[in-house]
Amino acid sequence: MGEMLAELRGVTKAYGPVQVLRDVDFEIRAGEIHALLGGNGAGKSTLMKILAGLVPASAGEIRINGTSLSHPTPAQVQALGLYLVPQEAHIFPHQSVLQNVCIGLPRAAHHYRDRIERHIAELGVSISPDAKAATLEIADRQLVEILRGMIRNARVLVLDEPTSALTPHEVEALFTRMRALRDAGAGLVFISHKLHELRAICDRITVLRDGNTVLAAPLADCPDTRIIAAMSPGASALRDRAAPREIGAQALTLEGVSGEGFEDISLGLRAGEILALTGVVGAGRTELAETLVGLRPLAGGRLEVNGRALPRPSPRRAVDAGLVYLSEDRQQYGLFLEAPLFWNTSSFVTHKLPALLRPGREKARFARYRDSMKIRCQSPEQSAAALSGGNQQKVLLSKCLAAAPRVLILDEPTRGVDVGARGDIYAIIEELAAQGVAVLLISSDFDEVVRLADRIAVMAGGRIAGELPGGSPIGEIARLAFESREPAHA
Amino acid sequence: MLDAIARNRVATLVCVTVLVLLAVGLAAPGFLTGNTAAIIWSNGLVLMLVALGILPVILTRNIDVSGGSILGLSAVVLGLTVNAGTPLWGAVALALAAGTAAGALNGALVAGLGVPAIVATLGTLGLYRGIMLIATGGEWIEGLPDGLKALGAKGAIGIAPLGWVVGALALALALALRTRRGLWPNAVGDNREAARHLGLPVRRIVFGSFTFAGFMAALAGVTFAAQIGFVPNQAGTGIELRAIAALVLGGVSLLGGVGTAGGVVVAVIFFTAIDTALVFLKIPAYWNDLIGGAMLLLVLLIDGRLRIALERRDRAARYRRATQLPDRTPLEDAA
Repeated sequence: MGEMLAELRGVTKAYGPVQVLRDVDFEIRAGEIHALLGGNGAGKSTLMKILAGLVPASAGEIRINGTSLSHPTPAQVQALGLYLVPQEAHIFPHQSVLQNVCIGLPRAAHHYRDRIERHIAELGVSISPDAKAATLEIADRQLVEILRGMIRNARVLVLDEPTSALTPHEVEALFTRMRALRDAGAGLVFISHKLHELRAICDRITVLRDGNTVLAAPLADCPDTRIIAAMSPGASALRDRAAPREIGAQALTLEGVSGEGFEDISLGLRAGEILALTGVVGAGRTELAETLVGLRPLAGGRLEVNGRALPRPSPRRAVDAGLVYLSEDRQQYGLFLEAPLFWNTSSFVTHKLPALLRPGREKARFARYRDSMKIRCQSPEQSAAALSGGNQQKVLLSKCLAAAPRVLILDEPTRGVDVGARGDIYAIIEELAAQGVAVLLISSDFDEVVRLADRIAVMAGGRIAGELPGGSPIGEIARLAFESREPAHA
Repeated sequence: MLDAIARNRVATLVCVTVLVLLAVGLAAPGFLTGNTAAIIWSNGLVLMLVALGILPVILTRNIDVSGGSILGLSAVVLGLTVNAGTPLWGAVALALAAGTAAGALNGALVAGLGVPAIVATLGTLGLYRGIMLIATGGEWIEGLPDGLKALGAKGAIGIAPLGWVVGALALALALALRTRRGLWPNAVGDNREAARHLGLPVRRIVFGSFTFAGFMAALAGVTFAAQIGFVPNQAGTGIELRAIAALVLGGVSLLGGVGTAGGVVVAVIFFTAIDTALVFLKIPAYWNDLIGGAMLLLVLLIDGRLRIALERRDRAARYRRATQLPDRTPLEDAA
């Protein structure tokens, strides 16, 4: 093995009560490409952000090129030759590609123009250094980040899902480039959900699950089955399935629905049924859900809720039709963080409250949900920001239920939720379905999908890749989600 | 076509300014002279300094509304010290130092303590004005020395010495914003997280921008005192809002990351030219605000619609590409 370029020892990270990383070791050696794998919320992005100095660790040691850093800053880390290509490209929309790549470098941008043009040619892509970054497509934004790493002569390059927005041709060119960097003595970290990509270029693999290292071995020693088993040891999850429920009338119908990031989606959902919509990040699931409730423009197709067509969805019309969506992003789109808990519960139905508000009634409403959902809080007046992830999620569920939904779309309802609360939320979802609510469960957690869903629709690249019956083996789902299609941005 | 107009806001503004001036020239012969140009430049100096000072602050996606108070405070420092016998250069230096310190305090509040810029500078707007009033006891400062007034009086080719200084400063700022480090305020305002990610000293950049704004407001205070020859207790009141209006008119985005010094210069000239033209057209001065405000709204309304249209088009184009799959049906789909 080559010399040690960067290492993390005993890294622990907690956000409030939520433990994101527990005592994780990770190393990058010269001349290797190290695969880092894990489900949503497994902690891989956080681990790499700690390495890049973007997020401080709660405990642990970081060494880069032999220098030990207690509280690294991005500038220090980059000066030591490490660059993180983030999952979402960080671009300055109003500056040119050239300026975007060179900002923060010791010399003015025009000194680097020749090298950048050469790197662009090496990657086999065609973007102009003078183009405004705002005009770039998603794939080209990613290339700006890769160019940043190359121009900084990084000896350690961390690539967080760099291929999710690239065309096959661009992926191949990127891999060629990565191999060349490795052979020149650099160490690379490659984060991806796509096993065949890992197989193509990686030497070693580390798998994280719930903030723990669950697999660390040479990639050649790990068959796919072992990797999938490490990511989601869900084989035993089936025994927890609830009793079969009564399936009612058609509640939600999509016919050839198209919009931003997805195309030609047809799905049906009946009352009392839980339909899981699964796939990898970027498959277009959230975009679809946001379109159904009118948060994004509907480009085409037909949408029917409880037998009534919804030709021009808007958030209000959706709620009135009984279609309620719970966002995956609790902090940004879900909670009113500073408002008292009981107003959060009432927030979906404000248009139905009396003109002169009666806080007592809203508190009583909250108290009912608090008792039935086991929301742990001090008082109804408490602000939502202080609750743990699991309790926040329950408050959000209470908000959705207050709107008396017929169709409930839950987007990653257990992301960042601890194990105990996760069980409570599963019970609530099953109870709702038993009461005749049609549940569309968007989840990237295959265990969860197998555990809860009556039917499973897998989305990939903005389309439905296939539909499976509930309780299908995880390998089957993973194969459809990971392998069935190249990403849509081709 | 949309692109050309929206992306060349400054060029559009130059055309409008020229058209307005030509129209006034037709209506009032004798308007289009070098003398008028010198008057417009001279009348715009104070506003120009405050606006150019706030420019970097707004580029970083912050705002500074304390410029008028810093102007007043600096003018009072100048007046009090020079009337107390301090040599003119010393008094000017003290005034500039006071304004720079006031700007640095704004910067420390925003960059150091994380107070939102609007809150911090609304606070110091009152604070600095209060210090100024306490220092003077609410009195006007009169009897400023002739040496000071000479700085604001006509000099070479009709331009006052301070007029030359401001021209040089505007040019220097325009050039500085194009250098490697000069792009940093733009970068911070354009995408703060990205700037942090790339290791830019984000907080120092924000602090520096506010300090610069304080210095420029102080120089505006010196210019103000030199031009009118005394310091009233409301010196500078409300000028920060006119400056921000000029910035917006000059193509500076209040959301940060976009704007040039050239655009600001043109916008200030546009505002001052309208004021001056109204005098020439013998329209009563109390019409100035109405006409200036209406012009500003008109330009911004059109510009806002253009930007929304552009954004919508960019967004549509991005997603159109994202869902256009090549025409093929992969075999594995069947499985």
